[in-house]
Amino acid sequence: MPSVIIDKDRCKGCELCVYACPEDVLAMSDEINAKGYFVPIVAHPENCTGCRYCLLVCPDVAIQVENKGKVTKPPESLTGKPFSYCPGCTHGVIHRLIAEVMDELGIQERTVGIAPVGCSVLAYEFFACDMQEASHGRAMAVATGIKRGRPDLTVFTYQGDGDLASIGMAETVHAANRGEKITVIFVNNAIYGMTGGQMAPTTLPGQVASTCPTGRDVTLTGYPIRVVELLKSLRTPAYLARVTVTDPKNVLAAKKAIRKAFKYQLEGTCFSLVEVLSTCPIGWGETPHDACGWLQENMVPYYPLGEVKVPEEATVQAGS
Amino acid sequence: MAKKLMKGCEAIGEAAIHAGCRLFFGYPITPQNEIPEYMSARLPQVGGTFVQAESEVAASNMLYGAAGAGCRVFTSSSSPGISLMQEGLSYIAAAELPVVVVNIMRGGPGLGGILPSQSDYFQATKGGGHGDYRLLVLAPSTVQEAADLVIDAFDLADEYRNPVMILGDGLIGQMMEPVEFKKEIKPEDLPEKPWATTGRAGRQQNIINSLYLDPEQLEAHNWDLHRKYQRMAKEVRYEAFNTDGGCDVLIVAYGTVARITKTAIDMAREKGLKIGLFRPITLYPYPTEALVQTAEGAKSVLVSELSTGQMVEDVRAAIAGRRPVGFYGRVGGMVMGPDELVEQAEKLVAVHV
Ligand SMILES: Cc1ncc(C[n+]2csc(CCOP(=O)(O)OP(=O)(O)O)c2C)c(N)n1
Ligand code: SF4
Ligand code: SF4
Ligand SMILES: [Mg+2]
Repeated sequence: MPSVIIDKDRCKGCELCVYACPEDVLAMSDEINAKGYFVPIVAHPENCTGCRYCLLVCPDVAIQVENKGKVTKPPESLTGKPFSYCPGCTHGVIHRLIAEVMDELGIQERTVGIAPVGCSVLAYEFFACDMQEASHGRAMAVATGIKRGRPDLTVFTYQGDGDLASIGMAETVHAANRGEKITVIFVNNAIYGMTGGQMAPTTLPGQVASTCPTGRDVTLTGYPIRVVELLKSLRTPAYLARVTVTDPKNVLAAKKAIRKAFKYQLEGTCFSLVEVLSTCPIGWGETPHDACGWLQENMVPYYPLGEVKVPEEATVQAGS
Repeated sequence: MAKKLMKGCEAIGEAAIHAGCRLFFGYPITPQNEIPEYMSARLPQVGGTFVQAESEVAASNMLYGAAGAGCRVFTSSSSPGISLMQEGLSYIAAAELPVVVVNIMRGGPGLGGILPSQSDYFQATKGGGHGDYRLLVLAPSTVQEAADLVIDAFDLADEYRNPVMILGDGLIGQMMEPVEFKKEIKPEDLPEKPWATTGRAGRQQNIINSLYLDPEQLEAHNWDLHRKYQRMAKEVRYEAFNTDGGCDVLIVAYGTVARITKTAIDMAREKGLKIGLFRPITLYPYPTEALVQTAEGAKSVLVSELSTGQMVEDVRAAIAGRRPVGFYGRVGGMVMGPDELVEQAEKLVAVHV
């Protein structure tokens, strides 16, 4: 019978696993871990089918699943250091997916990752490959420097929406337009998480943030920028996709896109950028689960999911 | 190797290639466009890469990435562009990355003008961007010296893991002189940089970073950097010219103004006035001790710059009242003639008889 193993020390009690389990195997308990979080327990082990949905949504790599004598393991491309993110923040899920892809492609020893300025500023402590910490918005310029100097290395950036689409927009557009052979993971949470929830270029119309306390007024601040659609207008071939990680199905789709984004780099094909719609439960003032619902209800309609540009199509376009 | 007649900017570019540098990131700005233009043509011939960045902000951060990945890398710009590079330079200094930056100064502030200037002395020698840090600053006064200093700059940058700036002006960049390159380094012969992010195969993870959230760690880092800057003091370079046996007036000048001073020395000699020249070649570290010693043999000191008075502050601090220190500056792209320097020296002598 499959079973779920919860690493109580890593758990932040976000409850996302409890909601994700289609068989009601998990339930929250009264038990408090060393960090002060209520942890879930395996309430109905007999119901477990080994679907791994709980593992897929856990933002803190706190769940492993045993099935037919085989136990899942945390990705080797993560250092194992506990993430610094708030409970239920999906930054952690995205980290895990990138690390899994690095493991599967066997590229950890030739990869350089670039951490941004934002909540993921400490990403260099979490990814187990070589890392560089960039200044705010310049991750793609830093990546360009590395990739042009050492084309044999695999280079990825991990950037928030303030970082990539506001202060770093020039670097973004030009790295894409030059067709830098790099992989960009763009974490869009519609807010400046790190500095306390200010308006981002991606904040939705009417959305309240600490610098638009009555809601974003598009007559004064313009409309949220759809980054992948904007980059699509460039003639240079690229792989551009938008995904989210609010639920197991979407987590799997996100991983597929991230994997493609690395493969295109490994094949020397093109610039790749995967926009991941991500939650900021703290900044939005929602529980982690409700934040996932809010994202689906409000962000997905404005930021449609899917592949927006694939290099093959772009090559055809370029000939026209 | 035979001497070749070259423009200053081109000699700077070729010197970088002789130093084993195969990477250039930059953005056009007058009066140094010949450097990126030269690199865009030359680098592909030697298997190197030239990237015209979208801005100097981006260029400075491309330098950070490339230097962090262990590559010899260089950029050039002029004053307004160097201001934009301060972000990258601060992070580069903090992360202790070796890069070489050429500033062919033009008149400022703001858009200023495109003619020669030395008004970025403060910015170059006192840090420039935010935080406690220093660049190693080298000021050539001939095309040959520019070529020599560029080659040395790469070695110094590697040795101290610190950004090195070549501080020139439009005249040095544009003038043509015969040059030879003192050595040629092949990139493959350069020593390994075990700290660089080159892929972690066979070793622990390397991280290039400037974030220290723990104040104790940041303080330790700041003092580490400070001690490194103190160690750099042994790199001081200067030229003392016509100072043996003392002089009436010691002119302290660098770069183009030092060249003009040499002409002024000849003109003054005919008038029976002995002018000596003290020319700092390293502006940071500043050759303070040598200046003090040289000034002991002078009756008075005259600092001359293409600014309203920047280096003069370091000279006054060094001389500390032991000699009268006068100042003569021209700005805005105006350059003093040697006759003006003689006149200023005569005035100084008349006042301090
Ligand atoms: C030059 C500069 N300006 C401003 C800041 C302050 N700052 C730090 S993070 C941040 C916003 C980050 O938001 P985002 O990129 O969306 O990342 P998130 O925290 O939401 O993941 C800002 C403005 C900075 N560190 N540097
Ligand atoms: S998803 Fe992970 S962190 Fe959240 S409650 Fe479950 S085990 Fe804990
Ligand atoms: S502030 Fe928001 S984005 Fe940042 S860690 Fe917390 S939940 Fe995540
Ligand atoms: Mg954000």
